[in-house]
Amino acid sequence: MSTAPQAAAPERPMPIPTRESQPYWDGLREGKLMLQHCASCGRVRHYPRPVCPHCFSLESEFKEAPLTGKLHTWTVCHHPFNFFFKAQAPYIVALVDMDAGVRINAQLHGVEAASLKIGQPLKLAFEPVTAEITLPYFVSG
Amino acid sequence: MAHALREKAAISGVGETAYTRGTTKSGLALQLEASLNAIADAGLKPTDIDGIIPYFPGGGIAEDFVANLGLPDLTLSAFIPMGGATCVAALQTAAMAVATGVCKNVLISVGRTGYSGARVSTRLQQFPQFALAAEFELPIGMFAPAQLYAQGARRHMELYGTTARHMAEVAVVTRQHAMLNGNVVMDKPLTVEEYHASRMIADPFRLFDCSLESDGGAAVIVSASDRAKSLKKPLVTIMGVAEGHPESPASIAQRPDLLEFGLVKAAKRGFEMAGVGPRDMDVAEIYDCFTFTVIRQLEILGFCKTGEGGPFVMDGRIALGGELPINTHGGLLSQGHVVGLNHVIELTRQLRGEAGKAQVKDAGLGLVTGYGDMGDGSLAILRRAA
Repeated sequence: MSTAPQAAAPERPMPIPTRESQPYWDGLREGKLMLQHCASCGRVRHYPRPVCPHCFSLESEFKEAPLTGKLHTWTVCHHPFNFFFKAQAPYIVALVDMDAGVRINAQLHGVEAASLKIGQPLKLAFEPVTAEITLPYFVSG
Repeated sequence: MAHALREKAAISGVGETAYTRGTTKSGLALQLEASLNAIADAGLKPTDIDGIIPYFPGGGIAEDFVANLGLPDLTLSAFIPMGGATCVAALQTAAMAVATGVCKNVLISVGRTGYSGARVSTRLQQFPQFALAAEFELPIGMFAPAQLYAQGARRHMELYGTTARHMAEVAVVTRQHAMLNGNVVMDKPLTVEEYHASRMIADPFRLFDCSLESDGGAAVIVSASDRAKSLKKPLVTIMGVAEGHPESPASIAQRPDLLEFGLVKAAKRGFEMAGVGPRDMDVAEIYDCFTFTVIRQLEILGFCKTGEGGPFVMDGRIALGGELPINTHGGLLSQGHVVGLNHVIELTRQLRGEAGKAQVKDAGLGLVTGYGDMGDGSLAILRRAA
């Protein structure tokens, strides 16, 4: 039995919401996928940013979007470039074409990497991490 | 009509430090050492330098060069923040500067302690270009380039049948070339079996798919062609040069086609400026942050069609003596990681006939690419003109 003092657990890297992205993170905390839409031409965009690249409007609104999508591609992370993720490795990060028309990158839980196929249906889920921040992950759709 | 920049600028000097893993020198010291070597190679004096494009962030800034090299009248100081596409894109800025007479001799240089100093995933958090990845992807465990680029490689494998064996070939051939160089970090042979047995980093990338984290410096001098003609070394001109930025440049995840690198745009402009095509190349130095990145760039450059890059690299085609020798110095995979300025240096040496045991016979025309920052791209086509 070791009596050596335990090293502090590595800190989880956390997002720092910006003035543009705050409504997206607020949505995740409430268990919703809130996506930015142009108030003028109505087109969706992600990640959040100040100007619509199609009509250059500065006005936008966040609307609730469905949680469903299809697998675009993935990786399986074995080497933990950040020490926090050492305990989780290997983990799958799935890039998903959301039915709302943007992509979301998040970990995929409960599915074997060997079984993955482009186009398979996945669904977004929510993991509360702190009082402020909830992170998304995917499960089989 | 020929493009206004075609062959107006030349690579007049090249210089490097030793490439190592472990050094007590600072990034700035390595950068200055390489810069002095490049200045001497050109037959110039430090005080002849009047333009500076240092790799940024990391290493020195123009002020450091003025202070250390005693530059009397600097007329251009610029950063090209394009990650791995920086060095080749900097050739475009330098060529514009010397062709217009703003500068006489522009110094492009890199110095980095990528092994003994901050490692890649720490370093990138300082880059404004990685702010979106830091907010949306770092918290879910996805931030290092190996992870961010792995998803594109996986998609290419699923769509076109590209295999680990194809990627192994790039790693093994690059190592064979490194062993001929004499200034490399990785000087032991690598077999296909050792590649397959190496540990997985971010599937599909194994250890030997990834470029090195190493210490070293590199520098090149760009001068106007009519000036470079009277300098020390054979004249190597810049026939064509271009940079290109992809859609959704700071987020691969949101890019409509993950495999549409900025090089798609740069290649079209670069070849047009040069007035030559891929089939005219005697040698190619392809930015090799990952093996797959080489395969995809060969497709984009038009050496083969999209989806055929895997089979293209097989059967000795990209090795010395093959149809298209690539990365004849050992590249970022086996020589050292100085952000691809070593690729520019190697192409210049090939065209001068100074490439030693890795010399491509009668190399007269070649290309060099850059790739970085989530998919920015750059291309330069160089020619031995005298």
